[in-house]
Amino acid sequence: MTTAAAITREECRTRLATIAGAERVVSTGETVTVAASDVEQIAEILRFANSNGIAVTPCGSGTKQSWGNAVEAGILLDLSRMNKLREHAWQDMTCTVEAGCTWTVMQAELAHHGQMVALDPLWPERATVGGIVAANDGGCLRLKYGSLRDLIIGMTVVLADGTIAKTGGKVVKNVAGYDLHKLMTGSFGTLGVISEVNFRLHPLESNTQTWTAVAPEPFQFEHALRGLLDSQLTPSSVQLRLSETECELDIKISAPAECMDEHSAKLSKICGVMELSPSDETVWQARQELHDTANAVVLKISTLPNDLCLLCSELQDWSAKKGMEIAVVAQANGLVTAALKTAPDAAIALIHHLRERLRNAGGSVVALQVPSPLRSTLDVWGCESNALPLMKEIKRRFDPNRILNPGRFVGNI
Amino acid sequence: MLPQGHIEELRAAVGTDGLITGESQLQTYECDGLTNFRVMPGAVVLPRTAAEVQAVVRVCARHKIPFVSRGAGTGLSGGALPSAGGVVISLARMNRILEVNIADKYVVVEPGVINAHVTQRVAPQGYFYAPDPSSQSVCTIGGNVAENSGGAHCLKYGFTVTHTLALEVVLPNGEIVQLGSPTLDAPGYDLAGVFVGSEGTLGVTTKVTLRIVKRPEVVQTLLAAFDSPQAAGQTVSDIIAARMLPSALEIMDTLAIEAAEAAVHANYPMCGGLLLVELDGPGSEVDALMRQVLEICRNNGAQETRLAQSEAERMLVWKGRKAAFAAMGRISPNYIVQDGVIPRTALPRVLSEIDRMATAVGLRVANVFHAGDGNLHPLVLYDRSIDGQEEKALDLSYRILHLCVDNGGSITGEHGVGKEKQEALGYMFSEPDLDTMQLIRCAFDPANISNPDKVFPRTRLCGDKPGPYTPHPLETAGIAEIF
Repeated sequence: MTTAAAITREECRTRLATIAGAERVVSTGETVTVAASDVEQIAEILRFANSNGIAVTPCGSGTKQSWGNAVEAGILLDLSRMNKLREHAWQDMTCTVEAGCTWTVMQAELAHHGQMVALDPLWPERATVGGIVAANDGGCLRLKYGSLRDLIIGMTVVLADGTIAKTGGKVVKNVAGYDLHKLMTGSFGTLGVISEVNFRLHPLESNTQTWTAVAPEPFQFEHALRGLLDSQLTPSSVQLRLSETECELDIKISAPAECMDEHSAKLSKICGVMELSPSDETVWQARQELHDTANAVVLKISTLPNDLCLLCSELQDWSAKKGMEIAVVAQANGLVTAALKTAPDAAIALIHHLRERLRNAGGSVVALQVPSPLRSTLDVWGCESNALPLMKEIKRRFDPNRILNPGRFVGNI
Repeated sequence: MLPQGHIEELRAAVGTDGLITGESQLQTYECDGLTNFRVMPGAVVLPRTAAEVQAVVRVCARHKIPFVSRGAGTGLSGGALPSAGGVVISLARMNRILEVNIADKYVVVEPGVINAHVTQRVAPQGYFYAPDPSSQSVCTIGGNVAENSGGAHCLKYGFTVTHTLALEVVLPNGEIVQLGSPTLDAPGYDLAGVFVGSEGTLGVTTKVTLRIVKRPEVVQTLLAAFDSPQAAGQTVSDIIAARMLPSALEIMDTLAIEAAEAAVHANYPMCGGLLLVELDGPGSEVDALMRQVLEICRNNGAQETRLAQSEAERMLVWKGRKAAFAAMGRISPNYIVQDGVIPRTALPRVLSEIDRMATAVGLRVANVFHAGDGNLHPLVLYDRSIDGQEEKALDLSYRILHLCVDNGGSITGEHGVGKEKQEALGYMFSEPDLDTMQLIRCAFDPANISNPDKVFPRTRLCGDKPGPYTPHPLETAGIAEIF
């Protein structure tokens, strides 16, 4: 347990029970799990941890706890009880939701008024708002609706010293003060504990159609993909799926029913000789299926959109040459998920190769899911930014005692 | 005044032709678009490269000289106001478009590039740069980054931050860092996201990678005349409830219409509330949605609807809307431009309350607003020659900001906090919120030399109020419209 010598695990447990109630505190091994029920409890727990130098890992349902460097937390701060949609101002197209609310529950509530947060994260039935934001997760909808950070208009955060801070607001247009919520999005719980998030909302996609084309290798999609992204069609999602033997291109369009035939015709024209067949929504589960692959190393690769087909071809070649099982889902915006089933050394070699290859274009490779033996030997983040010292200084200012997920993020922040 | 030794160090950094120290020339830089605040800088430098910016900032860091970077100086909150005796870093000479990458949909520009020039450069390939502040024909990308500029179309397309992929920044200690990347989700904190909109308080931008967007197949613009802004506002709510996301939704009240008509003869229908709806996208979708919009307008009692029939007509509609601020001079000797945001649903009660507050002090307020995102621009009209009226107008303008906050909104949607609204920021955020923002500030700029005394509230001093509107020289010259 990474507590200061001055406090025992039992003392820690007792103090947490005083804050949150004995029934909300559980000890497992060296970690004490405490379930907070409101933002004041979070603040009190953090003040206690901060003054005693106890490492804290915030946690929703734990779907992404294996991402990033391993942390030995003294306290696992469970936010799953803070699970309410606090406000849905549907006419203003905004909502306020607690961090422990699962994505599906939130979306179901918003759907009563035909609205949604326009993001498709992994494991939506289990993943919570706070975890999704902290890990900056999102899927194919990003092509049309932008990134998670652009959907967040405000946030409540608790800092390591227990300060409760609000940032942004509940209006979609707002340039007052710094956008702290942008800093928090994707910071993996290293700067503060997100307790509440304000989102801007979009209308539900009520009428959608997905088409799929199949080809033996990714290069055959290059012309279609370029044409599609350079067209005036505005697809909701576009992805390439790649296995050892074949490649598929999925395209989803949302439009009024009376326009769908016209869009379909335009799509066929763009795709030329490629044959498009209607397919069902399950193809958009592909990214999650890669993450669910047992014992796989799962990479998040970021490249330029125009590089996608080439990169996929290279991965296919690499797979053939090295006898490595590689499955890929590449979003049209350049974000690629790759699941590798291979020996640790071979995975590391590929990761190094890809980082070298992508360096000039500013691309990156993050090893999101890594089997335990590999996690300690691999730099999972591969952050080469010359702003890393600045990031470390921000961490130092926000969390001088290094209690919030210490070591988990880039540069062991 | 800067010591001669510091001046010489600055000269060494940018050369003699990149340094201004003469008093009459320095006066050009003593204010930005908020012209009632004026402070004389100690020197102005005009670097041509990031290395020169770095050299200047290093001089400032060495001697703890406050500096502020500046583009075209069109900002309306005093963000580019110099510190007394400090250095102004004008980025006007760093105005090259360095790279255009259509396949990957980005451009790389220097900070002094004018906003509209980005679109001009990529228009032949069918692309545009989406953020369109009304001063876009003169304002620069560096300034847009500092203020996180929006414009009439940000309801659909987002703000500068939405379109900024990467930045090269000279930190206040003189180091050059790259924030973000042309590719998405570079590992690490989203420092580009934090830097955009930080109003020059975190460093100096020297290069910006911007996302460009494919121009939509069709754009349609509709004018709908209603009895009142409230009826127009209800129509906006109904359009949103019908699951549409127009690219622009603008409302003008009678006073604003009168002023715009007097200024540019946009041929607007005279009414209590004029709604402008713009839809864009694939042609068949826009046609289908516009039919719905027309029906919603009729259901809300629109007296008249008018769809622009040509690009020229569409441009005229926008010309009237964009001229509305400057046009206030036609109906009032003096006026104050305000910028606040409210949740869209608060529109009827906030408009009524503004009306009540104005009536109570015997003043008129014209309303022009981006109704889609609740961004109000109340224009407080007054006559300075009438004893005490300016003070009343200033007070009213300030109370309107508080009204926005009281209704769950913000003190600024696009003009920024700058010098003008520092105290109002303290009304909107609590001390812990502001202290937390300061942690970021201190990590970037521990010496507090990058545009100090801006954004954050300080001890209230005499004259710490929003000022009356004075036309910017560019506006007077007829080369920019500002709202």
